[in-house]
Amino acid sequence: GRPGMKGGSKVVVEPHRHEGVFIARGKEDALLTRNLVPGESVYGEKRISVEDNGQKVEYRVWNPFRSKLAAAILGGVDKIYIAPGMKVLYLGAASGTSVSHVADIVGPEGLVYAVEFSPRSGRDLINMAKKRTNVIPIVEDARRPEKYRMLVGMVDVVFADVAQPDQARIVAINAHHFLKNQGHFVISIKANCIDSTVDAAVVFAKEIEKLKVEQLKPQEQLTLEPYERDHAVVIGTYRPPPKTPKKTA
Amino acid sequence: RMSQLYLLFESASGYALFERLESEEIGQTLPEVQASVQDLSKFGRTIKLKAFIPFKSAAHALENINDVTEGIVNDHLKEFLELNLPAVKPGKKPKYQLGVSEPKLGGAITEATGFPCASNDLTEELLRGIRLHFDKFIKQFKPGDLEKAQLGLGHSYSRAKIKFNVNRSDNMII
Repeated sequence: GRPGMKGGSKVVVEPHRHEGVFIARGKEDALLTRNLVPGESVYGEKRISVEDNGQKVEYRVWNPFRSKLAAAILGGVDKIYIAPGMKVLYLGAASGTSVSHVADIVGPEGLVYAVEFSPRSGRDLINMAKKRTNVIPIVEDARRPEKYRMLVGMVDVVFADVAQPDQARIVAINAHHFLKNQGHFVISIKANCIDSTVDAAVVFAKEIEKLKVEQLKPQEQLTLEPYERDHAVVIGTYRPPPKTPKKTA
Repeated sequence: RMSQLYLLFESASGYALFERLESEEIGQTLPEVQASVQDLSKFGRTIKLKAFIPFKSAAHALENINDVTEGIVNDHLKEFLELNLPAVKPGKKPKYQLGVSEPKLGGAITEATGFPCASNDLTEELLRGIRLHFDKFIKQFKPGDLEKAQLGLGHSYSRAKIKFNVNRSDNMII
Protein backbone atom coordinates (compact mmCIF):
# COMPACT_ATOMS: atom_id res chain seq x y z
CA GLY A 1 0.00 0.00 0.00
CA ARG A 2 0.91 3.66 -0.05
CA PRO A 3 2.96 5.13 2.75
CA GLY A 4 1.21 6.84 5.64
CA MET A 5 1.51 10.46 6.70
CA LYS A 6 5.14 11.51 6.95
CA GLY A 7 6.76 11.72 10.34
CA GLY A 8 4.39 9.18 11.87
CA SER A 9 6.38 9.05 15.08
CA LYS A 10 5.81 12.77 15.71
CA VAL A 11 2.07 12.51 15.34
CA VAL A 12 0.06 11.92 18.48
CA VAL A 13 -3.40 10.44 18.13
CA GLU A 14 -6.00 11.29 20.75
CA PRO A 15 -9.53 10.00 21.16
CA HIS A 16 -12.17 12.58 20.25
CA ARG A 17 -15.04 13.44 22.59
CA HIS A 18 -17.20 11.33 20.23
CA GLU A 19 -16.37 7.68 20.84
CA GLY A 20 -14.84 5.99 17.78
CA VAL A 21 -13.51 9.30 16.38
CA PHE A 22 -9.88 10.41 16.81
CA ILE A 23 -7.72 13.50 16.29
CA ALA A 24 -4.13 13.61 15.06
CA ARG A 25 -2.09 16.27 16.84
CA GLY A 26 0.85 17.34 14.71
CA LYS A 27 1.82 20.24 12.52
CA GLU A 28 -1.80 20.32 11.44
CA ASP A 29 -4.57 18.64 13.36
CA ALA A 30 -6.67 16.13 11.47
CA LEU A 31 -9.86 14.23 12.16
CA LEU A 32 -9.42 10.44 12.00
CA THR A 33 -11.22 7.14 12.22
CA ARG A 34 -9.52 3.87 13.09
CA ASN A 35 -9.04 1.92 9.86
CA LEU A 36 -11.17 -1.22 9.91
CA VAL A 37 -9.07 -2.62 7.05
CA PRO A 38 -5.45 -1.68 7.90
CA GLY A 39 -3.12 -1.20 4.96
CA GLU A 40 -5.75 0.17 2.60
CA SER A 41 -7.23 3.52 1.70
CA VAL A 42 -10.75 3.72 0.30
CA TYR A 43 -10.57 6.89 -1.84
CA GLY A 44 -6.92 7.91 -1.71
CA GLU A 45 -7.12 9.42 1.78
CA LYS A 46 -3.99 9.55 3.93
CA ARG A 47 -3.33 6.97 6.61
CA ILE A 48 -1.51 7.39 9.90
CA SER A 49 0.07 4.55 11.81
CA VAL A 50 0.97 4.89 15.49
CA GLU A 51 2.36 2.54 18.10
CA ASP A 52 0.05 1.78 20.95
CA ASN A 53 1.59 -0.47 23.66
CA GLY A 54 3.84 -2.06 21.04
CA GLN A 55 0.89 -2.60 18.70
CA LYS A 56 0.56 -0.76 15.41
CA VAL A 57 -2.78 0.97 14.99
CA GLU A 58 -3.76 2.55 11.71
CA TYR A 59 -6.08 5.53 11.23
CA ARG A 60 -7.53 7.22 8.13
CA VAL A 61 -7.76 10.99 7.72
CA TRP A 62 -11.37 12.15 7.49
CA ASN A 63 -11.87 15.21 5.31
CA PRO A 64 -14.65 17.59 6.50
CA PHE A 65 -14.95 19.02 2.99
CA ARG A 66 -15.96 15.57 1.75
CA SER A 67 -18.15 14.37 4.60
CA LYS A 68 -21.06 16.23 6.20
CA LEU A 69 -20.70 14.17 9.35
CA ALA A 70 -17.02 15.10 9.68
CA ALA A 71 -17.97 18.75 9.10
CA ALA A 72 -20.60 18.53 11.85
CA ILE A 73 -18.06 17.03 14.27
CA LEU A 74 -15.49 19.75 13.57
CA GLY A 75 -18.30 22.29 13.86
CA GLY A 76 -18.69 21.14 17.45
CA VAL A 77 -21.94 19.21 17.34
CA ASP A 78 -22.99 18.00 20.79
CA LYS A 79 -23.93 14.38 19.98
CA ILE A 80 -23.66 12.26 16.82
CA TYR A 81 -25.09 9.03 18.30
CA ILE A 82 -23.02 7.06 15.80
CA ALA A 83 -20.66 5.09 18.05
CA PRO A 84 -18.99 1.67 18.36
CA GLY A 85 -21.52 -1.19 18.17
CA MET A 86 -24.35 0.95 16.75
CA LYS A 87 -26.51 -0.04 13.80
CA VAL A 88 -26.92 2.77 11.30
CA LEU A 89 -29.22 3.20 8.30
CA TYR A 90 -27.33 5.53 5.96
CA LEU A 91 -29.51 7.14 3.27
CA GLY A 92 -27.69 8.74 0.35
CA ALA A 93 -24.56 6.63 0.64
CA ALA A 94 -23.11 7.81 -2.71
CA SER A 95 -19.83 6.05 -3.49
CA GLY A 96 -19.35 5.13 0.13
CA THR A 97 -16.44 7.37 1.10
CA SER A 98 -18.21 8.87 4.10
CA VAL A 99 -19.92 5.52 4.79
CA SER A 100 -16.48 3.92 5.13
CA HIS A 101 -15.69 6.26 8.04
CA VAL A 102 -19.04 5.50 9.67
CA ALA A 103 -18.14 1.81 9.29
CA ASP A 104 -14.82 2.50 11.03
CA ILE A 105 -16.64 4.23 13.91
CA VAL A 106 -19.28 1.54 14.52
CA GLY A 107 -16.57 -1.11 14.18
CA PRO A 108 -16.91 -4.89 13.79
CA GLU A 109 -19.74 -5.08 16.34
CA GLY A 110 -21.77 -2.44 14.52
CA LEU A 111 -23.50 -2.41 11.15
CA VAL A 112 -24.19 0.12 8.40
CA TYR A 113 -27.08 -0.38 5.99
CA ALA A 114 -26.01 1.90 3.13
CA VAL A 115 -28.72 2.94 0.64
CA GLU A 116 -27.84 4.57 -2.69
CA PHE A 117 -30.06 4.77 -5.75
CA SER A 118 -27.55 5.74 -8.43
CA PRO A 119 -26.10 2.61 -10.09
CA ARG A 120 -22.90 4.48 -10.93
CA SER A 121 -22.21 5.35 -7.28
CA GLY A 122 -23.68 2.04 -6.20
CA ARG A 123 -20.93 0.19 -7.98
CA ASP A 124 -18.23 1.94 -5.92
CA LEU A 125 -20.31 1.42 -2.79
CA ILE A 126 -20.49 -2.34 -3.41
CA ASN A 127 -16.74 -2.52 -4.00
CA MET A 128 -16.04 -0.63 -0.76
CA ALA A 129 -18.39 -2.97 1.10
CA LYS A 130 -16.54 -6.05 -0.16
CA LYS A 131 -13.71 -5.27 2.26
CA ARG A 132 -15.82 -3.68 5.00
CA THR A 133 -18.16 -6.50 5.88
CA ASN A 134 -20.05 -4.39 8.41
CA VAL A 135 -21.49 -2.43 5.46
CA ILE A 136 -24.56 -3.86 3.74
CA PRO A 137 -24.87 -2.16 0.33
CA ILE A 138 -28.41 -1.48 -0.90
CA VAL A 139 -28.80 -0.07 -4.39
CA GLU A 140 -32.40 1.08 -4.17
CA ASP A 141 -34.58 4.19 -3.89
CA ALA A 142 -34.64 5.57 -0.32
CA ARG A 143 -38.21 6.73 -1.06
CA ARG A 144 -39.29 3.10 -1.15
CA PRO A 145 -38.15 1.44 2.08
CA GLU A 146 -40.60 -1.41 1.45
CA LYS A 147 -38.28 -2.44 -1.40
CA TYR A 148 -35.45 -3.17 1.03
CA ARG A 149 -37.44 -4.31 4.05
CA MET A 150 -35.98 -7.82 3.70
CA LEU A 151 -32.43 -6.46 3.97
CA VAL A 152 -32.63 -4.17 6.98
CA GLY A 153 -33.06 -4.77 10.72
CA MET A 154 -34.06 -2.22 13.35
CA VAL A 155 -31.38 0.45 13.71
CA ASP A 156 -30.16 2.85 16.40
CA VAL A 157 -29.53 5.77 14.05
CA VAL A 158 -30.79 7.00 10.68
CA PHE A 159 -28.29 9.23 8.88
CA ALA A 160 -29.51 11.04 5.78
CA ASP A 161 -27.68 13.01 3.13
CA VAL A 162 -30.08 12.63 0.23
CA ALA A 163 -30.31 16.26 -0.96
CA GLN A 164 -33.90 15.88 -2.15
CA PRO A 165 -36.82 18.32 -1.79
CA ASP A 166 -38.89 15.67 0.03
CA GLN A 167 -36.04 14.74 2.36
CA ALA A 168 -38.09 15.05 5.58
CA ARG A 169 -40.65 12.58 4.24
CA ILE A 170 -37.90 10.18 3.10
CA VAL A 171 -36.38 10.17 6.58
CA ALA A 172 -39.82 9.76 8.18
CA ILE A 173 -40.90 6.70 6.18
CA ASN A 174 -37.54 5.05 6.82
CA ALA A 175 -37.80 5.80 10.53
CA HIS A 176 -41.32 4.32 10.67
CA HIS A 177 -39.97 1.10 9.15
CA PHE A 178 -36.56 0.71 10.75
CA LEU A 179 -35.70 3.16 13.53
CA LYS A 180 -36.04 1.98 17.13
CA ASN A 181 -38.25 3.92 19.50
CA GLN A 182 -36.03 6.59 21.04
CA GLY A 183 -33.48 6.01 18.28
CA HIS A 184 -31.79 9.01 16.71
CA PHE A 185 -31.60 10.77 13.38
CA VAL A 186 -28.84 12.87 11.87
CA ILE A 187 -29.86 14.74 8.72
CA SER A 188 -27.89 16.99 6.46
CA ILE A 189 -30.14 19.57 4.83
CA LYS A 190 -29.07 21.47 1.73
CA ALA A 191 -31.27 24.56 1.61
CA ASN A 192 -31.29 25.21 -2.13
CA CYS A 193 -32.21 21.58 -2.84
CA ILE A 194 -35.48 22.14 -1.04
CA ASP A 195 -36.35 25.72 -1.97
CA SER A 196 -33.91 28.10 -3.63
CA THR A 197 -36.31 31.07 -3.56
CA VAL A 198 -36.22 31.73 0.20
CA ASP A 199 -33.56 32.25 2.82
CA ALA A 200 -31.76 29.12 4.03
CA ALA A 201 -32.85 29.74 7.63
CA VAL A 202 -36.49 29.71 6.52
CA VAL A 203 -35.98 26.40 4.73
CA PHE A 204 -34.37 24.82 7.81
CA ALA A 205 -37.22 26.00 10.06
CA LYS A 206 -39.81 24.53 7.67
CA GLU A 207 -37.98 21.21 7.50
CA ILE A 208 -37.88 21.03 11.28
CA GLU A 209 -41.66 21.52 11.40
CA LYS A 210 -42.10 18.64 8.92
CA LEU A 211 -39.93 16.37 11.08
CA LYS A 212 -41.85 17.16 14.27
CA VAL A 213 -45.12 16.02 12.70
CA GLU A 214 -43.51 12.61 12.08
CA GLN A 215 -42.43 12.09 15.70
CA LEU A 216 -38.87 13.06 14.76
CA LYS A 217 -38.05 15.51 17.52
CA PRO A 218 -35.14 17.81 16.61
CA GLN A 219 -32.71 18.58 19.43
CA GLU A 220 -29.80 20.24 17.73
CA GLN A 221 -29.20 22.24 14.59
CA LEU A 222 -25.81 23.26 13.30
CA THR A 223 -24.64 25.04 10.18
CA LEU A 224 -21.87 23.30 8.24
CA GLU A 225 -19.95 26.52 7.45
CA PRO A 226 -17.14 26.81 6.51
CA TYR A 227 -17.14 23.33 5.00
CA GLU A 228 -20.46 23.52 3.14
CA ARG A 229 -22.53 26.54 2.09
CA ASP A 230 -26.20 26.78 3.11
CA HIS A 231 -26.13 23.38 4.75
CA ALA A 232 -27.36 22.49 8.19
CA VAL A 233 -27.27 19.28 10.11
CA VAL A 234 -30.27 18.47 12.29
CA ILE A 235 -30.04 15.85 15.01
CA GLY A 236 -32.80 14.50 17.20
CA THR A 237 -34.78 11.65 18.70
CA TYR A 238 -37.50 9.49 17.14
CA ARG A 239 -40.56 8.87 19.29
CA PRO A 240 -39.07 10.50 22.39
CA PRO A 241 -40.46 9.13 25.66
CA PRO A 242 -43.55 11.02 26.81
CA LYS A 243 -42.80 13.70 29.34
CA THR A 244 -43.80 12.50 32.78
CA PRO A 245 -46.02 15.09 34.37
CA LYS A 246 -44.59 16.71 37.48
CA LYS A 247 -45.91 15.11 40.60
CA THR A 248 -47.83 17.43 42.81
CA ALA A 249 -47.21 16.57 46.43
CA ARG B 1 -62.91 -11.05 21.85
CA MET B 2 -60.38 -9.58 19.46
CA SER B 3 -60.22 -11.09 16.00
CA GLN B 4 -57.47 -13.55 15.24
CA LEU B 5 -54.42 -11.93 13.65
CA TYR B 6 -51.46 -13.50 11.88
CA LEU B 7 -48.44 -11.61 10.61
CA LEU B 8 -46.16 -12.32 7.67
CA PHE B 9 -42.55 -11.21 8.15
CA GLU B 10 -40.21 -11.43 5.17
CA SER B 11 -36.54 -11.64 6.19
CA ALA B 12 -33.26 -12.15 4.35
CA SER B 13 -33.15 -15.69 5.78
CA GLY B 14 -36.68 -16.76 4.93
CA TYR B 15 -40.39 -16.23 5.57
CA ALA B 16 -41.88 -16.27 9.04
CA LEU B 17 -45.48 -16.40 10.17
CA PHE B 18 -46.44 -15.04 13.58
CA GLU B 19 -49.66 -15.24 15.52
CA ARG B 20 -50.92 -12.61 17.94
CA LEU B 21 -52.20 -14.14 21.14
CA GLU B 22 -54.82 -12.52 23.26
CA SER B 23 -53.31 -10.64 26.11
CA GLU B 24 -55.22 -8.55 28.59
CA GLU B 25 -52.00 -7.36 30.13
CA ILE B 26 -50.76 -5.78 26.93
CA GLY B 27 -54.04 -4.71 25.43
CA GLN B 28 -54.58 -3.80 21.82
CA THR B 29 -54.71 -0.05 21.47
CA LEU B 30 -51.85 1.47 19.53
CA PRO B 31 -50.13 3.17 22.50
CA GLU B 32 -50.39 -0.06 24.52
CA VAL B 33 -48.88 -2.06 21.67
CA GLN B 34 -46.15 0.55 21.16
CA ALA B 35 -45.20 0.32 24.80
CA SER B 36 -45.07 -3.48 24.75
CA VAL B 37 -42.94 -3.75 21.62
CA GLN B 38 -39.70 -2.63 23.26
CA ASP B 39 -39.52 -5.37 25.86
CA LEU B 40 -39.14 -8.91 24.49
CA SER B 41 -40.43 -10.50 27.68
CA LYS B 42 -43.69 -8.57 27.19
CA PHE B 43 -43.80 -8.74 23.41
CA GLY B 44 -43.09 -12.50 23.41
CA ARG B 45 -46.24 -13.02 25.47
CA THR B 46 -48.41 -11.44 22.81
CA ILE B 47 -46.62 -12.58 19.64
CA LYS B 48 -45.77 -16.22 18.93
CA LEU B 49 -43.80 -17.70 16.04
CA LYS B 50 -46.05 -20.09 14.13
CA ALA B 51 -43.76 -21.14 11.28
CA PHE B 52 -40.49 -20.28 9.61
CA ILE B 53 -39.21 -21.49 6.26
CA PRO B 54 -35.61 -20.63 5.34
CA PHE B 55 -34.55 -19.90 1.78
CA LYS B 56 -32.74 -22.85 0.18
CA SER B 57 -29.84 -20.89 -1.29
CA ALA B 58 -28.54 -17.42 -2.06
CA ALA B 59 -30.15 -17.62 -5.50
CA HIS B 60 -33.45 -18.67 -3.94
CA ALA B 61 -33.30 -15.71 -1.54
CA LEU B 62 -32.66 -13.31 -4.43
CA GLU B 63 -35.55 -14.76 -6.42
CA ASN B 64 -37.84 -14.27 -3.42
CA ILE B 65 -36.82 -10.69 -2.60
CA ASN B 66 -37.34 -9.77 -6.24
CA ASP B 67 -40.85 -11.27 -6.21
CA VAL B 68 -41.84 -9.86 -2.81
CA THR B 69 -40.73 -6.33 -3.67
CA GLU B 70 -42.69 -6.50 -6.91
CA GLY B 71 -45.78 -7.66 -5.02
CA ILE B 72 -45.69 -11.12 -6.62
CA VAL B 73 -46.80 -14.20 -4.65
CA ASN B 74 -44.59 -17.00 -5.93
CA ASP B 75 -45.18 -20.72 -5.31
CA HIS B 76 -42.77 -20.83 -2.37
CA LEU B 77 -44.64 -18.11 -0.46
CA LYS B 78 -48.04 -19.47 -1.50
CA GLU B 79 -47.22 -22.98 -0.25
CA PHE B 80 -45.83 -21.62 3.01
CA LEU B 81 -49.01 -19.66 3.72
CA GLU B 82 -51.35 -22.47 2.69
CA LEU B 83 -49.50 -24.93 4.89
CA ASN B 84 -49.66 -22.74 7.98
CA LEU B 85 -52.84 -20.66 7.86
CA PRO B 86 -56.34 -22.02 8.54
CA ALA B 87 -58.03 -22.91 5.27
CA VAL B 88 -60.65 -20.51 3.97
CA LYS B 89 -63.90 -22.35 3.29
CA PRO B 90 -65.68 -21.28 0.11
CA GLY B 91 -68.58 -18.96 0.81
CA LYS B 92 -67.57 -18.41 4.42
CA LYS B 93 -66.03 -15.26 5.83
CA PRO B 94 -62.68 -16.08 7.48
CA LYS B 95 -62.44 -15.31 11.18
CA TYR B 96 -58.87 -14.02 10.97
CA GLN B 97 -56.65 -11.57 9.12
CA LEU B 98 -53.11 -11.81 7.85
CA GLY B 99 -51.09 -8.67 8.55
CA VAL B 100 -48.59 -7.85 5.80
CA SER B 101 -46.21 -4.93 5.62
CA GLU B 102 -47.08 -3.87 2.10
CA PRO B 103 -50.67 -3.62 0.77
CA LYS B 104 -49.80 -4.53 -2.82
CA LEU B 105 -48.41 -7.88 -1.70
CA GLY B 106 -51.46 -8.27 0.58
CA GLY B 107 -53.79 -7.84 -2.38
CA ALA B 108 -51.83 -10.39 -4.39
CA ILE B 109 -51.96 -12.90 -1.49
CA THR B 110 -55.73 -12.51 -1.18
CA GLU B 111 -56.09 -13.00 -4.91
CA ALA B 112 -53.88 -16.09 -4.99
CA THR B 113 -55.08 -17.80 -1.80
CA GLY B 114 -58.26 -16.15 -0.53
CA PHE B 115 -56.57 -15.25 2.77
CA PRO B 116 -57.84 -11.88 3.99
CA CYS B 117 -54.91 -9.45 4.37
CA ALA B 118 -54.52 -6.22 6.30
CA SER B 119 -51.93 -3.44 6.38
CA ASN B 120 -52.67 -0.79 9.00
CA ASP B 121 -51.16 1.07 11.97
CA LEU B 122 -51.52 -1.95 14.25
CA THR B 123 -49.92 -4.45 11.86
CA GLU B 124 -47.14 -1.93 11.13
CA GLU B 125 -46.44 -1.53 14.83
CA LEU B 126 -46.42 -5.28 15.45
CA LEU B 127 -44.10 -5.82 12.48
CA ARG B 128 -41.74 -3.19 13.96
CA GLY B 129 -41.67 -5.29 17.11
CA ILE B 130 -41.00 -8.46 15.13
CA ARG B 131 -38.19 -6.74 13.23
CA LEU B 132 -36.69 -5.64 16.55
CA HIS B 133 -36.69 -9.12 18.11
CA PHE B 134 -36.73 -11.34 15.03
CA ASP B 135 -33.51 -13.28 15.60
CA LYS B 136 -34.63 -14.15 19.15
CA PHE B 137 -37.76 -15.81 17.80
CA ILE B 138 -35.95 -18.16 15.41
CA LYS B 139 -34.34 -20.96 17.43
CA GLN B 140 -31.97 -22.16 14.70
CA PHE B 141 -30.32 -18.72 14.40
CA LYS B 142 -26.89 -18.27 15.94
CA PRO B 143 -25.85 -14.69 16.80
CA GLY B 144 -24.93 -12.89 13.58
CA ASP B 145 -26.71 -15.34 11.25
CA LEU B 146 -29.42 -12.88 10.25
CA GLU B 147 -26.92 -10.09 9.56
CA LYS B 148 -24.87 -12.51 7.42
CA ALA B 149 -27.98 -13.30 5.38
CA GLN B 150 -28.73 -9.56 5.02
CA LEU B 151 -25.15 -8.94 3.92
CA GLY B 152 -25.17 -11.70 1.28
CA LEU B 153 -28.59 -10.74 -0.05
CA GLY B 154 -27.74 -7.01 0.06
CA HIS B 155 -24.76 -7.65 -2.20
CA SER B 156 -26.60 -9.89 -4.66
CA TYR B 157 -29.70 -7.63 -4.80
CA SER B 158 -27.54 -4.55 -5.35
CA ARG B 159 -25.30 -6.25 -7.91
CA ALA B 160 -28.39 -7.19 -9.89
CA LYS B 161 -29.62 -3.58 -9.69
CA ILE B 162 -26.49 -2.23 -11.30
CA LYS B 163 -26.47 -5.10 -13.80
CA PHE B 164 -23.13 -6.37 -12.70
CA ASN B 165 -22.04 -9.67 -14.06
CA VAL B 166 -22.10 -11.73 -10.89
CA ASN B 167 -19.00 -13.68 -11.89
CA ARG B 168 -16.87 -10.85 -13.19
CA SER B 169 -17.11 -7.64 -11.24
CA ASP B 170 -15.15 -5.68 -13.86
CA ASN B 171 -17.59 -6.55 -16.62
CA MET B 172 -20.46 -4.08 -16.51
CA ILE B 173 -23.36 -4.75 -18.84
CA ILE B 174 -25.24 -1.63 -19.82
